[in-house]
Amino acid sequence: MITRNTSMCRALLENLQLLPLIPRFNMKLGFGEMTVEQVCMAYAVEVDFFLEIANAYLDESYVPGEELSLIPLSTVVNYLTTTHSYYLETALPEVEQNIFQLLERSDLSSREAALVTDFFNDYKKEFMEHLSEEEQHVLPYILELERQSALEQPDADFLKRLQRYSIREFEKGHDRLETSLENLSRLIIKYLPPCDDFQLCQQVLNQLSALVKDLVDHADMEDKILIPRVAELEQAMLRTFSDR
Amino acid sequence: MKSAGFIVAIDNYLVRAGMVSLLNKMHQVRVLREFGAVEPMIRFTQKNPGHFLVIGQSLFNKAGELFLSAPGLLDRTILIADPAREMKNKEVHASILPDDSKPEITSKIVALINMQGIDREGDPSEMLTQREITIVKLVSLGMTNRQIADKLFLSTHTVITHRKNIISKLGIKSVSGLTVYAIVNNIITIEEVTSKP
Repeated sequence: MITRNTSMCRALLENLQLLPLIPRFNMKLGFGEMTVEQVCMAYAVEVDFFLEIANAYLDESYVPGEELSLIPLSTVVNYLTTTHSYYLETALPEVEQNIFQLLERSDLSSREAALVTDFFNDYKKEFMEHLSEEEQHVLPYILELERQSALEQPDADFLKRLQRYSIREFEKGHDRLETSLENLSRLIIKYLPPCDDFQLCQQVLNQLSALVKDLVDHADMEDKILIPRVAELEQAMLRTFSDR
Repeated sequence: MKSAGFIVAIDNYLVRAGMVSLLNKMHQVRVLREFGAVEPMIRFTQKNPGHFLVIGQSLFNKAGELFLSAPGLLDRTILIADPAREMKNKEVHASILPDDSKPEITSKIVALINMQGIDREGDPSEMLTQREITIVKLVSLGMTNRQIADKLFLSTHTVITHRKNIISKLGIKSVSGLTVYAIVNNIITIEEVTSKP
């Protein structure tokens, strides 16, 4: 487990899978002898938040501590948004490029290749729709909720809206994005005819598995941390203001 | 998404609420139902087999018939043991003790899930019915809702309802996604797909 006094260099060396988190917190390598806490202070990142994210990322059985409920929702939203950019600008294009290379180099029939190409293009479309729904509607709503809840007298229109809409509605339609990627890995391992470039296959499978793990973490963060807190805040606001 | 479904059956409200809250924070865990008494829990368990169970000592002592009628359930059960009470002699997978720390409790739960494996049998809500499997197959072969309806003597409306249920069970919307799902789950062969007219 990583604590605030762990050396950042050591934490990363021993857990290289944490590297993708560094740019999401707008941090850059070159940490010298700094501890996790010192690095977080230098980059104006809440250390408790960083620790919760990092530990949850490392250990599937890690259960978020109570500290997390004190982190402003805007911090969580901000983290989710930078994670989205990472998926769209880095992770997904990398996988895509390698998959298309893989298709070129294997002796698939054109129909088999079309199956994979269609699959990936449809998946990408769904993925982008999912993210843009969150960024255009859900996350701005959460930010507005947090802003309004801090006001002495929240906006009347907002309160009316609150009586009709709850984050729980979003939760109902919140699809998991990783299932299809897992199926793609299975397809490659089980069925696709031999491709001589084993290294490339391995690279694709590694990238897919890293992305799947990241997406699981991301969705858990939304479903288990963000949504319950937002729902709680909605309830608290309704209780306080609905009779006025 | 694969997740482990849990039932929590504890008569003490505070202990039950605490257990549910902890489970809900864990990865890939879902609390299906909570119970404070034995009878409704037994009814639910008989209708919905395959889940995990966290049960308090006093309900456990009363639930003998349940474990006789549900094979394998003891292996999926964690008992919240009360050393002060008489312990009926049954082999549960693990016991949580009153002074266990949070990491001790979570590691017992994770060990239970890992030992049993999370599979589709364990999560009835994700299992497709025979009818849905047939529809996935026909969709993968490139048939439209209309064509599927004609072939199976259903209304298009019914086919659409089945397809909606499939989407919510699998989390897969596109035809290409369903096709890949059908191939990797042996519903259809890759040759059938690629040789379709």
